[in-house]
Amino acid sequence: MISEEQQDQAALYVLGLLETHEVAAFESELKANAELRDIARELREAAGCVALTASSRTPPASLKQRIMRQIAITTEEPVLVSPQRAPFGWVPWAIAAGLAVFCGLLALDRVRLERQLADIRAVDPLMQTTFFTLAPSAPAPADAKATVAWQTGRQSGVIRITNLPAPQPGKDYQLWAVDAEHKDPISAGIVRVDKNGVAQVRFKPVEKAEHVKAFAISLEREGGVPKKEGPILLVGSA
Amino acid sequence: MVEETAQQIADREMMLRVGRGDQTAFSALYDRLSGPLYSLALKMLGNASDAQDALQEVFLQIWSRARTYDPEKSSVFSWTVLLTRSRAIDRLRARDRRLRVVVGSTADEARTAEATNASTVESAADTANKNDEAAHLRSLLNNLPSEQRQAIDLAFFGHLTHHEIAAQLGQPLGTVKARIRRGLLRLREQFRT
Repeated sequence: MISEEQQDQAALYVLGLLETHEVAAFESELKANAELRDIARELREAAGCVALTASSRTPPASLKQRIMRQIAITTEEPVLVSPQRAPFGWVPWAIAAGLAVFCGLLALDRVRLERQLADIRAVDPLMQTTFFTLAPSAPAPADAKATVAWQTGRQSGVIRITNLPAPQPGKDYQLWAVDAEHKDPISAGIVRVDKNGVAQVRFKPVEKAEHVKAFAISLEREGGVPKKEGPILLVGSA
Repeated sequence: MVEETAQQIADREMMLRVGRGDQTAFSALYDRLSGPLYSLALKMLGNASDAQDALQEVFLQIWSRARTYDPEKSSVFSWTVLLTRSRAIDRLRARDRRLRVVVGSTADEARTAEATNASTVESAADTANKNDEAAHLRSLLNNLPSEQRQAIDLAFFGHLTHHEIAAQLGQPLGTVKARIRRGLLRLREQFRT
């Protein structure tokens, strides 16, 4: 049985009116209570109905074209390969076998090189730096890019961004470290670009990040957010 | 478990395809949702240019987050409505001002009339259907007790916090919360029948 107080909380929750500290408590209650989830869904649907009471208007056709162009840029067209039978059926198998042997040799070589690299890193601080190249994803411009030099030992890094226009008023770019041992990306602070779309700043994630897999930049509310909300503009791994 | 309508099932299928990167499905979803979402953004933001920018952000977000859509939590329509509302609120915050809107107010009609120039022409049948639906919903909203309607308007379109609504209406916080909840549930009930 859901109490009226819980229903009140659910109504405020779906409208985004709960205080930050109340949200976490309510969400854990939601997880544990199927009836409450149903109420929340009902209330969301009702909120959808409220939106429909706005006078009906249609956006200009040019807006759809603009959006479709933007998503087309981010979509890779699949390459179709026609299924033709090779005249010598054994050739692909022979190639595959050769590749398997070659890969085995490469793997052994990689292990040896990784050991050498670990030895060098232990004595040379410069070698303790890992470089990440961040590539754009919509809605960032196609020529926007960023490079991160990251030192796990020092828990700090430097990011350089180019060709990323300043965000609209009320927004900020926020840097995130994606760490294998953290469920959510870790904030590494706000990054402000100059009028030429360039930034070079030193950063330190707010939490310890010892197994960083990637860095990303998202567009967030002004001043930044504790947990990523906005769209990712640049992302890349080492 | 909440029962889905045929339209909600169709929307969900479409969203699934969008999640797989299907641009045709995305285009169809845009055609289905852009009208109501634009109308909402326009009502909250008060000008066509801002509403179009907000709508663009929303659809790019739908494209990039389609895979995270959870049908257990809401219908596609409600999910996108709340995304749009959230983007509009971000913009309102950025402007550092709040818009207080009363459903059916003359100010709203004037703003939407201003935006007409930027709008494409719909078929007469589409317009009639949408107007019928909107008129029906407006009448449902108007059927609510005025204190519930007022609280919902202020919370949904004006984006006032419940504390601010309580202050504006001169009512205790608990009363305001109950009005929002009762109003929403009653609206949902009426919409179903």
